[in-house]
Amino acid sequence: MRNISRKTGMAAAMLGISALVLTACGAAPEAAPSASGSAPAGASDFTGCIVSDSGGFDDRSFNQSSYEGLMQAKTDLGINVKQAESKAETDFGPNLNAMVKGGCDLTVTVGFLLSDETKKVAAANPDKHFAIVDDNAIDAKNVKPIIYDTAQASFLAGYLAAGMTETGKVATYGGLNIPTVSIFMDGYADGVAYYNEKKSTDVKVLGWDVDKQNGTIIGGFDDQGKGKNTTITFANEGADVIMPVAGPVGLGTMDAVKELNASGKNIKVIWVDADGFEALASGNEFVLSSVMKEMGKSVEDVVRSDVEGNFDSTPYVGTLENGGVALAPFHDFDSKVSDELKAELETLKADIISGAVKVKSDSSPKTK
Amino acid sequence: MSHALATRNTEPDSTGRGVVRSWAAPITYSLLGLVALLGFAFGSPHAEARFRITDGSQKISVPDLVLGTTFVGWAGAVILLGIAAYSFVLVRAGRKLARWMLPVFAAVFVIAFLVWVIGSANTPNVYLSGLIAGSFTLAIPLIFGSLSGVLCERAGVINIAIEGQLLAGAFCAAIVGSMTGSLIAGVLAAVVGSVLVSMVLAVFAIKYLVNQVIVGVVLNVLVAGLTSFFFSTVMAADAEKFNAPPSFDVIRIPLLADIPIFGPIFFDQTILGYGMYLAVFLVWFGLFKTRWGLRVRAVGEHPKAADTVGIKVNALRFWNVVLAGVVAGLGGAFFTLVTSSSFNKEMTAGQGFIALAALIFGRWNPIGAFFAALLFGFSLNLSFVLTILGTPVPSQFMQMLPYAVTIFAVAGLVGKSRPPASNGIPYVKE
Repeated sequence: MRNISRKTGMAAAMLGISALVLTACGAAPEAAPSASGSAPAGASDFTGCIVSDSGGFDDRSFNQSSYEGLMQAKTDLGINVKQAESKAETDFGPNLNAMVKGGCDLTVTVGFLLSDETKKVAAANPDKHFAIVDDNAIDAKNVKPIIYDTAQASFLAGYLAAGMTETGKVATYGGLNIPTVSIFMDGYADGVAYYNEKKSTDVKVLGWDVDKQNGTIIGGFDDQGKGKNTTITFANEGADVIMPVAGPVGLGTMDAVKELNASGKNIKVIWVDADGFEALASGNEFVLSSVMKEMGKSVEDVVRSDVEGNFDSTPYVGTLENGGVALAPFHDFDSKVSDELKAELETLKADIISGAVKVKSDSSPKTK
Repeated sequence: MSHALATRNTEPDSTGRGVVRSWAAPITYSLLGLVALLGFAFGSPHAEARFRITDGSQKISVPDLVLGTTFVGWAGAVILLGIAAYSFVLVRAGRKLARWMLPVFAAVFVIAFLVWVIGSANTPNVYLSGLIAGSFTLAIPLIFGSLSGVLCERAGVINIAIEGQLLAGAFCAAIVGSMTGSLIAGVLAAVVGSVLVSMVLAVFAIKYLVNQVIVGVVLNVLVAGLTSFFFSTVMAADAEKFNAPPSFDVIRIPLLADIPIFGPIFFDQTILGYGMYLAVFLVWFGLFKTRWGLRVRAVGEHPKAADTVGIKVNALRFWNVVLAGVVAGLGGAFFTLVTSSSFNKEMTAGQGFIALAALIFGRWNPIGAFFAALLFGFSLNLSFVLTILGTPVPSQFMQMLPYAVTIFAVAGLVGKSRPPASNGIPYVKE
């Protein structure tokens, strides 16, 4: 599951991303004291730390996004930061202990692989605070899980897809049938169903059956050829909006869409995790929108509330309301999405936030 | 390989000579025939399966093919069981199985299965042309891999390293293609990379007489390790520079490409796709119609005899293994210059082994290997299509389909398939 985000990041890595990434990488001094004069009182004594999993902070994925979140907190709040990159699983424990001994007030650990070590170190240091990204397995007073209710954003994506399709068929496929993947697909299919109910249309979803919790699962996050082939098959069966939830395999979808659209089809893609329009090196003119998990923002939020003295162990659940998950801008498609559909999406977003429209997925994070 | 798995008993016939009776083929035929009877005939969903030949974007429009699952299920089961019964009769009489039996059986089984499974799907209609065209695309690297195997094994060197050759080819094509931006350089690099792997195999197998299966397996692991290492160190560091190879464009032959079903397969391919057809023909023609081919086969069957008449056995073997590397390199290039737009760790994902199975299923014959690889490509593509149509078969089983087909094909269906007599045996001059 957490793999997904990492893999997507790797995908992005292959293509290269934005300048933001580069600047963040360039400006990574070890525990540099704050230079900001406008920092809130007390923030300069606060030390926020981060431990990566073996992906490292340059994985262009969740390690990197989380790291950028902490760096953003440093800029905005003037806190001190420390970081430790893990090269292998055996580094997790030593890195975490080094952070705690180094006087970290809050240590962010990235990914469920660090779950066991975080739990151990947190138990040994009850006066220190910890936050763990994409994992909800630890139940301790000083550990805050950071997780995402992705279905909310992909519900919007499904509604958008149903509103944009010309063939009446939209599609999605996943890498593995695991909760962090199927939550995207559930939301997407439900969003389409909601559109059908509202508009009395009959837009079909290929590739996912919410009731059976099964569909087109290509069996991994590596084989881009399968992604390409699956996409061509979707197009053959008439789908014209496709959402790949399979990390770098999604690049296979981009390859297929480039070919298909060159031969006269009109296929659009909904990217996941990051804003595909910015993350992809080519084919971004076919990206209708993206279902984003805003890891950087969530890490920054958690750091901010700790600086302000409001730390608690209730899981941070990324939702549409707090901006932890979001539907990306339409970019090139902005002029092609009708104002009516845009307005409906805004209303729908407000309804989901207010609870007037309930988005449910078997894979949604369960708050304890 | 297959004959070793077959149940066989040797008993003297009336003339006193030993007759080898292999019951594997009749038994496999019967089992599959029963599957057809119970599954496709009795298990018919009593629906219609619709096959779309054209999707409206072509110049020629052909009406959909609609087949009743009940009729096709019963007809298929009867034909399959008939073939199974006939094979029992033949084996009992100590006669060879007819050459037509395997292809006909496979074709009827596939059709019956297809009609049944499409008829049972949530959406009982499928775009047949796309299904078949996709199968060819998936089969192209398998076919190159199988041809590489044919060239080696016909000369008497077992080539387990097809996987490694394909992977080395894919890697070299990606890195050189990215750095130079040239497709030709990418293909050449793929060939060089794959040939290097071949040469290691050749040197160890022919000069140092190391067990060829072991060398092959070790080479696969070595190439997987090396390419993964360079992928995570070099390629990941600067993907734009080292892992963004150019892609071959599809060359569409006007008019001919619009022929339903066959157009996209034969006239809407990349250079490598067209090259595959040429390679199959050349290897077949070379092996069976030229002096070189006769010598290769002689060396693979009876090297001592070949040596006696003045053929340089080990030199011929060496150059054949190198040539096999060239062919596998083209297949490797297909992964990164056609299928995907970048290299990924172990992206060949075991296809070299499927190519090996296709080689055996195809009875060490380039044409046979071509059709066997197509069958695997088809079952793989079918597994994708079926998950989309929503079938009664769970997706995990669908993912197993190509491998299940491989096991059935290699273990049971090949019948009297015989490798070159001296395959895997090093030749030492006395």
